Amino acid sequence: MATHESHKKRSGLMDWLTTVDHKKIGILYLLAGGFFFLIGGLEAILMRIQLMEPDSKIFTGELYNQLLTMHGTTMIFLAAMPIIFGFMNAILPLQIGARDVAFPFVNAVGFWLFFFGGLLLNLSWFLGGAPEAGWTAYAPLSTVAEDTGVDFYVLGLQIAGAGTLAGGINFLVTVINMRAPGMTFMRMPLFTWASFVTSGLILFAFPALTVGIFLLMFERIFDANFFNADMGGNVLIWEHIFWIFGHPEVYILILPAFGIISEIVSTFSSKRLFGYSAMVFATVLIGFLGFMVWVHHMFTVGLGPVANSIFAVATMAIAIPTGVKIFNWIFTMWGGQIRFTTAMLFAVGFIPTFVMGGVTGVMLSVPAADYQYHDSYFVVAHFHYVIVGGLILGLFAGLYYWYPRMFNRVLNETLGKWNFWLFFIGFHLTFFPQHWLGLMGMPRRVYTYMSGQDLDGANFVSTIGAILMGAGTIVLLINIVISASSKYATTKDPWDGRTLEWAMPVPTPEYNFAQTPLVRGLDALYVEKTAGNGEMTPAEPVGEIHMPNGSILPFILSFGLFIAGFGFIYANWTVVIVGLGVVLVTMFLRSVIDDHGYHIHKEEVEADIKGGRA
Amino acid sequence: MNAGERLTDANFPAHPEKATLEGKNKFLGFWLFLGGETVLFATLFGTYLGLRNMHLDGPSGEELFSLPLVFLATMLLLTSSLTSVYAVLSLKQNKVRSLQGWFIVTLLLGLGFLGLEIYEFIHYVHEGHTFTSSAFGSAFYTLVGFHGGHVLFGILWISTLLARNWNRGITLANAPKYYLFALYWHFVDVVWVFIFTVVYLMGKVG
Amino acid sequence: MADHHKTTEPTVHRHEEIQRKLALKEERKHHNVSFVMMILLTIVAFFAIWSDKISDSFAVIFILTLAVVQVFFQLYIWMHLSHKGHDFPIWGMASGVLVAAITVASLMGMIWTS
Repeated sequence: MATHESHKKRSGLMDWLTTVDHKKIGILYLLAGGFFFLIGGLEAILMRIQLMEPDSKIFTGELYNQLLTMHGTTMIFLAAMPIIFGFMNAILPLQIGARDVAFPFVNAVGFWLFFFGGLLLNLSWFLGGAPEAGWTAYAPLSTVAEDTGVDFYVLGLQIAGAGTLAGGINFLVTVINMRAPGMTFMRMPLFTWASFVTSGLILFAFPALTVGIFLLMFERIFDANFFNADMGGNVLIWEHIFWIFGHPEVYILILPAFGIISEIVSTFSSKRLFGYSAMVFATVLIGFLGFMVWVHHMFTVGLGPVANSIFAVATMAIAIPTGVKIFNWIFTMWGGQIRFTTAMLFAVGFIPTFVMGGVTGVMLSVPAADYQYHDSYFVVAHFHYVIVGGLILGLFAGLYYWYPRMFNRVLNETLGKWNFWLFFIGFHLTFFPQHWLGLMGMPRRVYTYMSGQDLDGANFVSTIGAILMGAGTIVLLINIVISASSKYATTKDPWDGRTLEWAMPVPTPEYNFAQTPLVRGLDALYVEKTAGNGEMTPAEPVGEIHMPNGSILPFILSFGLFIAGFGFIYANWTVVIVGLGVVLVTMFLRSVIDDHGYHIHKEEVEADIKGGRA
Repeated sequence: MNAGERLTDANFPAHPEKATLEGKNKFLGFWLFLGGETVLFATLFGTYLGLRNMHLDGPSGEELFSLPLVFLATMLLLTSSLTSVYAVLSLKQNKVRSLQGWFIVTLLLGLGFLGLEIYEFIHYVHEGHTFTSSAFGSAFYTLVGFHGGHVLFGILWISTLLARNWNRGITLANAPKYYLFALYWHFVDVVWVFIFTVVYLMGKVG
Repeated sequence: MADHHKTTEPTVHRHEEIQRKLALKEERKHHNVSFVMMILLTIVAFFAIWSDKISDSFAVIFILTLAVVQVFFQLYIWMHLSHKGHDFPIWGMASGVLVAAITVASLMGMIWTS
């Protein structure tokens, strides 16, 4: 067996390229996702600049369509999901008292697949133009587009999606198999629960997207006829497949935000979460119902009153578990000792904002009314209220909350409050007027409008709001830069936390817990605090710790797919064979080279404990 | 004990595939993966069922499919599923040579199946039923081809696995790998049962 | 991890050993029976169509039922879902089958609307 001596310590860039440590992969996800978030945000602001004045001619026609498509695609697949995965990686194993995720190697593969998929998609800007068929890529718009934009969409998302699927399975197994002694399912923190359900949704929703994208790819590159009506195809196949994936995707995004908000509201109200088991049940129920409602995106297709009614009722039903959650957050705050930190501000701002998005969601679920709202700015306002007002506020909250655990430093609270107010006010200025615009008949996805239709004012306000949101994000960046130059935080538990991720010293040791903790109740750390221990009781004596070795193979494997992606886009089969060859060789090497990891010796762990490092 | 060490009859666990945490994780992760694969194939089946009558001027399934050939392919795959389950029984009894033997039979039967499928596809192309001839053609080759791709991947997988562990005996490190392959192979057979029924048999009744 | 097998008493060990052998023998029998059953089901399905004696609509339902039965044999006997410790695999497959069913139903029934 490999011992510690034979274990190569890598440093610098090589360490980050080869890491299989979930904490480092979490940071990588957060950085890459944050980078794409900035790109997607920039695209949004450019669109708003175009729409600021009527008859504007700054970004018109095709270019506007590209901005629109890339904004949606980037934000959903390359910003929101990776940032969620960042938190899941960095926090989830700590919350359940695990030393690592179930498949550290696969975890690294998942990250690099996402990274190269995102890179491929964004390189389209420089290689003949970005995709322009909308993030939904409806056929036949996406099949007849002649330039390579949609090909980049297809290959980029296929590669990134494979990484997401791998990540989903990884977290499911981690939660099921790797919980510390005493950490029963009904003692898991809500963020872990939400991540668990989200991973389940990924597992069952992403294969549909995989197939959909394959069909689109075959149609474009190999002249297949799934969507070509002249050859017996049917465009509704794409719509169904896309939304069978796409609606669960919405819950994949929002559930982790629900989890983050639950953690933060409970911590900063200094109270146990109100109605814990109801919260868990609501999370699972939302996940289940998420698969039963996709047709509400297709009400105007003409599937008939029966189908529309069934899916309308199913959609409305989701409001019930969501309402349970809203009330439980409010009751958690009720009578609590609330501390309005930045994280808590974002969480509190989240609640009414998300409710507004939910209410317009119920409005849209009425098919007769949806015929009016469909493809108007009302829909744009609705889904930005749930995705930005819900998910993004939740992610900001999570960032401020977990930053000390991930980066060993606390973000500045004053700047944090500026960040919150600028972003929050900017958000409502941007999207609230869009409800009116939609009701007045302004269609979505259109690059301009004429003056004299009473659309000027609301559009102008909307653009001002977008700029404020940008300003809020810049404040966050400044905050991060300032914190990077500051010293490590001295406390491991800056928020008086209740869950296990606050039980370790900063920086978190590479093996997380020197001794696996014994969990004795919900809010495991809080239980020990009230029992007067202040720290976790170990469930095992100090001993050798088994660790996985780092590997460059995930990087190379993903890079191989990246190369093959270019081959497919330009129909260059030599490049495809080279790229896929690299993939097969790395898979072969992985299975042929024995890698049983290495052990950290008991003495080293003991030294770490004595030195306060574990 | 070392996960790479050859197991003896004395220390052989009842479930060698799940005796380590790594094995447990692989076992569960792979089952979940198969759950996802179910959705993947269902999407392909749905597409096929939606488009199966759209053969335009080309031959329909009823005219094309030769049931005896497909029946033979089904028998090959079904038998290979049985031989892989025998291999798992050998795994549980620490009989590595018999495990290798049964997996080799599995592999050969898989190759036979693949040969029949390639022969069948070539035949169809000559009949004017191609990937691009109609929506039916695209859907047919995509569904059946995805399954064939799975068979091919399985063949590559078990070949690598057998070659790498030829002289090693059964260890706690390779037992889960053998077991996972068997699960995969059964799943591929499950998919084929539905392809046989939905594509070929139902194709004959229109 | 699996060391506890070494420490068990020899007599107990032998007893366990015999039980295990019996269980494996039983298992082999189940495997063989399900193989025969699956062959039979396939042949029945084949002839249900080949003979052309059964009405089409009934034949379709009939062969689909046979396929489902066969899959249960595969999953529960050959893939051991009937054994202990398979709770989460069953959950996973059941959820997959549920999503699979609605996917197939929608692509079959909701694309050729008038």
